[in-house]
Amino acid sequence: MAAAQRSGRSRYRLLLLILTAITLLTLDFRGYGPLETAQSRVRDILEPVVSAVDVVLGPVAEVWTVMFSYNDLRAENDRLRAEVDSLRSADMRAAARDDTLERLLEATGVTYVDDIEQITASVLRHSVGNFDDDIVSIDVGHRDGVAPGMAVVTAAGLVGRVETVDTGLSTVTMISDPNLVIGVRLIDTGDVGLGHGMAGEPTRFVVDTGLRWPGTGDLSELPAIGSTVVTAAGSRYPANIPVGRVSTVEPAEGGLVQLVTVDLAAAVDDLGYVTVLLQAPVEEAPVGPDSPFSEPSP
Amino acid sequence: MTAPQLAPTGLRQGLSSLRSSVLVAALRVFLVYMAALLLQLTIFVEVRVVGVAPELPALVAVLAGLLAGARGGSLIAFGAGLMWDVYLPTPLGLAAVTFALVAYGLGSLTEDLFHDTRIQTGLLAFVGTAASVAAYAVLGEVVGQRGLVDDALLRIVLVSSALNAVLSLAVAPAMRWAVWGGRSRRPSVDPPRITARNRR
Repeated sequence: MAAAQRSGRSRYRLLLLILTAITLLTLDFRGYGPLETAQSRVRDILEPVVSAVDVVLGPVAEVWTVMFSYNDLRAENDRLRAEVDSLRSADMRAAARDDTLERLLEATGVTYVDDIEQITASVLRHSVGNFDDDIVSIDVGHRDGVAPGMAVVTAAGLVGRVETVDTGLSTVTMISDPNLVIGVRLIDTGDVGLGHGMAGEPTRFVVDTGLRWPGTGDLSELPAIGSTVVTAAGSRYPANIPVGRVSTVEPAEGGLVQLVTVDLAAAVDDLGYVTVLLQAPVEEAPVGPDSPFSEPSP
Repeated sequence: MTAPQLAPTGLRQGLSSLRSSVLVAALRVFLVYMAALLLQLTIFVEVRVVGVAPELPALVAVLAGLLAGARGGSLIAFGAGLMWDVYLPTPLGLAAVTFALVAYGLGSLTEDLFHDTRIQTGLLAFVGTAASVAAYAVLGEVVGQRGLVDDALLRIVLVSSALNAVLSLAVAPAMRWAVWGGRSRRPSVDPPRITARNRR
């Protein structure tokens, strides 16, 4: 009898916990502000402790990395040495022709947007869990003018979007995340569509919405392999940020739409520094009947 | 006149003592969980085996289910998951409900069967972590998160569960201290109920 009562109370408590979780999930999906603020406050409070523990335990992590990544590090070292040699050679040639500093700035600076305020950030740590490989933390936050939804870029192109923002810390969802949908324009054809990252393939991106397969069957209307893909005007992000180059074009959904695979312009798997474009993000997702990214009607 | 007053005073003292012992136990659990969370957020960002980190928050939840039983364990697991949710990109509440369900299930299934040997604890930590990670991925997909259930899931489940089974050797004593205090076995699951009979 007592055991049955105990079991009943346990089930009642579990039910309450499930209902609480469902409430939290619903509020989170609806973007309930106080909930996000509360999470941000918790992270802000714990961040000094996390940073201190990180400093203390950092050497242990480094020993582990050295022990188990020695071969990778040596290969990376060889590659970087070759790259430095190549750059040194190119640099000397350039210095003979032009102002070296200016050229260096052109090579490393973000040159495709010139009218948007920017801030450079360093990547503090990579994903904390096992399912969030496409999330990194950067060392800028509210106090630097960063807001959720802002575009994050490198000199090569778009690398992601600011997701959560705390006082001095933000998380960035990488462009390789399948959940991050981006409005893009194919320079070769001028078509616009929606794309997202591909699970398990951090260097690729697929545009699978909004691009109609040529009704006439004229394949010359398809984008050329190797042609450039950039962010579209009207997307959440500033226009004309390089996304990548077209890798393959295939018919999908019974031959009605194009499935365009893109090799990403920026490598997102080993970022050290990124640039946040401080332009207020567009709140609404680029979908809907009036959107340039709408699914073409069959 | 004196005798009837003694019983309520004793009852009040008993309840007060129970409350303070529950608070102390909650504080101990909080300390152990925060230590686990800090390790997860720092050292286990780098220290990974074939790209997979242990899931210390899940381990704390699983051990809570085993050591505190279905009722207390599910509550601790819910709190552990909620705190972990703050750092995950998935919606708030996903890890919390997953951990609570797994802790409840483990606590119910192992009631009177859990003997707290190292092998048994390790095995149950493996099973519980596997269930937590798999359920988290599946529930995440159900609520619309892409990329959780893919080719890597089996690797993540197996490696993180194996790592948690090994780490349970260190975490289980800490959780035992947190949940049981100085006692040597699972305490009475429920506080004594106040009935009309014992009130008299």
